[in-house]
Amino acid sequence: MKSVPTLSSAFLHPAGQSLPEPLLALRKQRASALVDMPLPTRKTENWKYSSKYLKLADDMAISLPAEGKGGNSLAVPGYKVVFNNGVMIPEASEYPDLNGIIIQSFSDLDEDDAKAVSLQLGSTLDHDQAQFARVNGARFEDGLFIRLAPGAVLDQPLFVIHETTADASGSAYPRIYVEAGANSQMTLVEEYISSGDASALVNTVTEFNLADGANITSIRLNMEGENVQHIGATGVLQQRSSRFESHCVGFGGPLRRHDLQVRLEGEGAETKLNGVVVTQGKQHYDNHTSIDHVAAHCNSEETYRNIAADQSHAIFNGRIHIHQDAQKSNADMNNKNLLLSNGAEIDTKPELEIYADDVKCAHGATIGQLDETSVFYLVSRGIGRRQANVLLTMAFINELVQQIPVEAVRETAQARLNDFFEQTFQEA
Amino acid sequence: MLSIKNLHASVEGKEILKGINLEIKAGEVHAIMGPNGSGKSTLSQVLAGNDAFEVTSGEVTLNGDNLLDLETEERAREGIFLAFQYPVEIPGVSNLQFLRTAVNAMRKHRGEEEMNAAEFMKLAKEVSKQVDLDPAFLKRGVNEGFSGGEKKRNEIMQALLLQPKLAILDETDSGLDIDALKVVSDGVNALRSEDRAILMVTHYQRLLNHIVPDYVHVLAGGKIIKSGGRELALELEEKGYGWLGIKDEDTSN
Repeated sequence: MKSVPTLSSAFLHPAGQSLPEPLLALRKQRASALVDMPLPTRKTENWKYSSKYLKLADDMAISLPAEGKGGNSLAVPGYKVVFNNGVMIPEASEYPDLNGIIIQSFSDLDEDDAKAVSLQLGSTLDHDQAQFARVNGARFEDGLFIRLAPGAVLDQPLFVIHETTADASGSAYPRIYVEAGANSQMTLVEEYISSGDASALVNTVTEFNLADGANITSIRLNMEGENVQHIGATGVLQQRSSRFESHCVGFGGPLRRHDLQVRLEGEGAETKLNGVVVTQGKQHYDNHTSIDHVAAHCNSEETYRNIAADQSHAIFNGRIHIHQDAQKSNADMNNKNLLLSNGAEIDTKPELEIYADDVKCAHGATIGQLDETSVFYLVSRGIGRRQANVLLTMAFINELVQQIPVEAVRETAQARLNDFFEQTFQEA
Repeated sequence: MLSIKNLHASVEGKEILKGINLEIKAGEVHAIMGPNGSGKSTLSQVLAGNDAFEVTSGEVTLNGDNLLDLETEERAREGIFLAFQYPVEIPGVSNLQFLRTAVNAMRKHRGEEEMNAAEFMKLAKEVSKQVDLDPAFLKRGVNEGFSGGEKKRNEIMQALLLQPKLAILDETDSGLDIDALKVVSDGVNALRSEDRAILMVTHYQRLLNHIVPDYVHVLAGGKIIKSGGRELALELEEKGYGWLGIKDEDTSN
């Protein structure tokens, strides 16, 4: 029998030791649990379409050194925290000291807070479904801790810029933990970008713990380069009447994986998950989402769109689990896919498990190409074929782009989309 | 302006047009009438350049230039406009964005400056009034959720904005109530001019009460079997297509 490949032990050794003691201890403990961690193969159900894109060489196990300067001088309309290779760069970060709001790097946490965080890290995630979140738990060098006191409102979006600088091979393990007190509010924008061209792994975990009535908007922009394999997980726990809204916009790469897990644990919680993925060339992108309706009277609404050009490959797997006591659940999941070439591939899989009897649950998935009749209608008005293709492709995702509540993010996304159109649709 | 000589066209290997000959001069309004399946819509689609239809022989020239060599968008820029029998719904593209993109594509082709959003909005509002469409329609997706009549008025609005040399109206009267028919006809009549030609394709002659043609042609079995003045349409109305020896389910009873 062929043996199952396991994660190389090279990946079990974190470099940085600047974390407070409780977090160092946690990391060590998690690393010891990872010995012989099986790597996903095509027989691993939740990685079956993606395992072939995963290429972890031993030289990528090395922690990428954090560049002391903020390589990124990006102006943002809001507050800004810059991480380089998973380590916060305070000189490049700009955010105020606000009453009731703690924004702090893991390294700066005092012993008590570090201990409290160490008890919570990972609690929002099902690690059997997000295996690589375990690796992050064994490797994170730093992280961002955000605590919103009850009723605290962050008045502007907080941009967390995660830049990976890969001048030599290596990996980075960004981590964010958000503890949102009752009725608190914030918008968090995660931007993943990269520089350098050596092969790199970015393995992220972001967690949101929402107390009663908390209202969190999460925006995630994935725009790393062709040298970066990205495996990220986001975990969300929602208590009574809390509201979580997520907008994920992702551009493909050699490997792109995002697991988004939401647990609705308190009655009346609401979650809205929007996602747009665009792939081209030989790129890959895999979104796995999971919504657990644990409590009754919760609403979830999920809309994901994939566009795949050339020989690229996009995957959507959407799971909705309605637990036995989750009566009066309302769940709506919709995934539409657009193939722009015969060589592109999209796999979509809705998974519904419903154990309560009084629920409304709808799902729909389609895969199609640009409609020739629509193209003909547009060109018959003098619009060039290329522009007609752009208009119709944009129309496919426009609704989701317009819903992103931060204009600067919409503009960034649109600029990247324009590049994509430029490369994908040639003038006849 | 438009010259069609011995035009043959087929779809999926089946010949639909079997030798059409037609000359249309600037300033003229022609009506092509015929029963279902006679090839009326095929002719419209072939002229507009729908490549689902294959031209197997014959020639079509617009002001002396070979039309069949041109891509659909090039034909549009040279002045061909087809008002669709079934206008397409395109959610996600606003009507305003669509119309402005089209108008600017034409302007660019003519070497004119493109219109900015504010200038175009002003123009679009005026023209939407002309076809009795609420300017709120400009913000909706192209034809999205429009009624049949609203779609047809949107087609005429496009013609008014694009100012074509040859406007082809494919069953523009179908699905219209009498008020909408009046609005659409007024729009088409506003298009009539010395340097523009109009080709109406219609099953019934009622549209011709509102837009009076200079010439009427009867299309049957992929050929024009009879041509005449406007009185031909009235004769058809009175006697039905059977009078010309044509079978037609819609008019025989």
